[in-house]
Amino acid sequence: MTTSVYIHLPFCEHICTYCDFCKMFYNEELCSKYLDSLEIEIKNNYQGEKIKTLYIGGGTPSSLSIDNLKKLMKIIKIFQIDKDYEFTFEVNPENITKEKLLLLKENGVNRISMGVESTSLKHLKYLGRFHDFKLVKEKIKLIKELGFSNINVDLIYALPHETINDLKKDLDNLLSLDINHISTYSLEIHNNTILGIKKEKNISEELDREMYEVITNTLKNNGFQHYEISNFGKDNYYSRHNLVYWHNEEYYGFGLGASGYYNNIRYDNTKSINSYLNGRYILSKEILSKKDKISYELILGLRLTKGINKQDFFNKYHEDIEGLYNIKELIDKEYLILDNEYLKVNEKYLYVENNILENFID
Amino acid sequence: MIKQENIRNFSIIAHIDHGKSTLADRILEITNAVSLHDSKNQMLDSMDIERERGITIKLNAVELNYHYNNEDYILNLIDTPGHVDFSYEVSRSLAATEGAILVVDAAQGIEAQTLANLFLALDNNLKIIPVINKIDLPNADVDKVTKELVDTFGFNEDEIILTSAKNGVGIQELVEAIIERIPSPKGSINNPTQGLIFDSLYDSYKGAIIMLRLMNGEIKAGDKIKLMSTNAIYDVTEVGVYTPNIKKKDKLVCGETGYLWGSIKSVSDVQVGDTVTVIGKEATSMLPGYKPMKQVVFAGIYPTETNKYNELRDALEKLKLNDASLSFEPETSHALGFGFRCGFLGLLHMEIVEERVMREFKIDLIATSPSVIYDVKLTNGENIMIDSPQKMPDRVNIASISEPYIKTNIFTPSEYIGSIMELCQNKRGNYLNLEYIDSKRVIIHYELPLSEIVYDFFDKLKSSTKGYASFDYELIGYKENDLVKMDILLNGEIIDALSTIVHKDFAYQRGKVVVENLKKLIPRQMFVVPVQAAIGSKIIARADIKALRKDVLAKCYGGDVSRKKKLLEKQKEGKKRMKNLGSVVVPQEAFLTVLSNEEISDN
Repeated sequence: MTTSVYIHLPFCEHICTYCDFCKMFYNEELCSKYLDSLEIEIKNNYQGEKIKTLYIGGGTPSSLSIDNLKKLMKIIKIFQIDKDYEFTFEVNPENITKEKLLLLKENGVNRISMGVESTSLKHLKYLGRFHDFKLVKEKIKLIKELGFSNINVDLIYALPHETINDLKKDLDNLLSLDINHISTYSLEIHNNTILGIKKEKNISEELDREMYEVITNTLKNNGFQHYEISNFGKDNYYSRHNLVYWHNEEYYGFGLGASGYYNNIRYDNTKSINSYLNGRYILSKEILSKKDKISYELILGLRLTKGINKQDFFNKYHEDIEGLYNIKELIDKEYLILDNEYLKVNEKYLYVENNILENFID
Repeated sequence: MIKQENIRNFSIIAHIDHGKSTLADRILEITNAVSLHDSKNQMLDSMDIERERGITIKLNAVELNYHYNNEDYILNLIDTPGHVDFSYEVSRSLAATEGAILVVDAAQGIEAQTLANLFLALDNNLKIIPVINKIDLPNADVDKVTKELVDTFGFNEDEIILTSAKNGVGIQELVEAIIERIPSPKGSINNPTQGLIFDSLYDSYKGAIIMLRLMNGEIKAGDKIKLMSTNAIYDVTEVGVYTPNIKKKDKLVCGETGYLWGSIKSVSDVQVGDTVTVIGKEATSMLPGYKPMKQVVFAGIYPTETNKYNELRDALEKLKLNDASLSFEPETSHALGFGFRCGFLGLLHMEIVEERVMREFKIDLIATSPSVIYDVKLTNGENIMIDSPQKMPDRVNIASISEPYIKTNIFTPSEYIGSIMELCQNKRGNYLNLEYIDSKRVIIHYELPLSEIVYDFFDKLKSSTKGYASFDYELIGYKENDLVKMDILLNGEIIDALSTIVHKDFAYQRGKVVVENLKKLIPRQMFVVPVQAAIGSKIIARADIKALRKDVLAKCYGGDVSRKKKLLEKQKEGKKRMKNLGSVVVPQEAFLTVLSNEEISDN
């Protein structure tokens, strides 16, 4: 049963230097047409399930004008929402306003994810962001005042020239916001981004790793659980929507460049706005065999620090997890750890787990 | 039938890139062997790899017709390979002719390759027609090259023909010079039959096809022939010529060049340089110049995926059907599993075979660093020949080790003498002498251990002379040296396939470079990997590969999970070209880098 929905809004007021997601400059009219097409896509595909997690991401969803935001919220009404639901909306500090937040609140949004990325002006400039930490504090205060209690902020670290002290300062600042979820990302430099074109180079593996450990220790010491490689949440505030991904459960993906998983098929939507506006939504499909599903289950589940529940795995696939691939050998080498309940990656190797996960690819 | 005095057999001698194939194409066109319209460029090179590398590996012969001064002539063009690895084949195809066209590039002048092959031609008493080609080039210097030809070889200026094969200039003059200047074949149809084998091809229906030149007598379908080096007897099914299309004939007679096939299964039964005779008209002696094939470079070839061993054997067997100079036998390595020890005529030959296995048979390979054959004298007085460092006996049992040496002919503008001598010195060379061709060009002769040139000598020579120097060599025998086996240990384990034989005085330096290079080439693993070089039980160099500290953690943003999977697939694909040696994943390049004595740069 599919009970999750991701909706992609590819519009931004500025293009960040590191961003290689599907995005374009905001334009009122184009966005309105886009929403029309989105509505058709949803109506054509949504089968009426009760939705438990809904996530609106981008791009910059908060860049929409109040009119287009209203239009979007009307479209959301198509979905049957479960009583116990999580509805996340991504915002940027510079364009989220009281008016927009009230509208979101009215329409049931109960989780806000803010792209803070850094609290240093120098680093924000490097990333192509147009806010400062003062604005972040104001906006978080506003969000809380309007009654949102489930708040995530994103942090990007391992920027060229960033020091451990810079990072510690960022972490202190984020902690001072008194929020309950932090997603952290080591900066990736992709070819098709501004940083990639400038041929920027990543910091050393050693420093990157040290930063990861500083983050993990600092956040753990401040009441956050390290529940996924790069995600930290306080008890009861883990991202339910993202857990759907890690648990290899199905979800609808709507919008330009979105990905979804429905009826044993993983699909990717087109990244061409023209195709999308003309109703040619899907770009590619992968029909999953049992073997593929097991492969995904391992690749995704082992991102969670808790790992994969053995019994759940058996119930789903009727196979013992430790008998698959070379899992026994990986346990012997102590790359994986198996206890009575869970199979997980040895914490020591979590940050290099691709070398473990590649074993589960055919 | 054409008169024997109206037959001309000739070949073309040229350095790589001096335009031999294009010139051959133009000659084919003017004799109407191929029309301009349907001629693919460079008819004579038939394999893709040859075309890509701009070199000719397999020989071919084409019969051409030309009407001149009211007479019909047959011109047989015999193609020659252009690389030093194949100099024996060149000498045999030259022996099948009475004359040769010497092609020199109007911009670049004479090069070592040209010289070497020209000397082979002169050894065979061939009539040489000097040609300066590419006169259309903007930087052509016809006067300078003319002077070179006159000064170096004593040609008369008026003998030299100027051509631009690209534009078809001078081709008719050249074809007529072939008729006028190159003598007609000697020998007689009435003598006992002697045919010189200068090449063989493999055809899956016909078996081995022999390319030969009739020096005496005749051969026709239905004859029983004998290959004189082995006394093996075969039935002839068909004889004919290539025009370049196949043209069946009743018989091949004295003076002619063509093909024959019959009951010969494999080209390894056919030796280049051997003499074919006919039972009933049997010759009493072989034609001169026959030498059995000799491989000089050996390397282990292993499938990256161990279950491809049988496929690799099939591939090598198939290649051997049309490449008699390839040898192979099964070999086992602790590190690499089951594979084959292969023998090659030289490094280029080795590269071609490896590339063909990968390309035509789609088998990923790990090739060990190439080795020469060492002559090892044991303390018990026994002598053994060792073609692989892995087979080197225990040090206590070795009295002495000798290694093969070559003599170089390095042809270079004189300003590079210094850098070439430095290069040869670093390669353990002994200086012999220097010959001045003219005021600006010299030939440098060195004695070098063959093992020192199998790796990167050619590249180094090119880079230290801006590409101006050219090089060929001949084997001159064995010399005793203070040689030792250097082992490489990864994570404490000796990796047999990485062992090399080195000179004791160079061992420390070489060991240091090799471990540093391996450190750079081998990707970080989940744990620290010590890389060590050892002689016997003594560690002479060490470097540690740091443990992997960080992965690329694709974000899986918006549920884009397939992207994560694609990343892992890519990572895994990258490792396919690598090999698990014990607990360490090692890329293919590592096996060649053990021969380098220079540190590779960081990027």
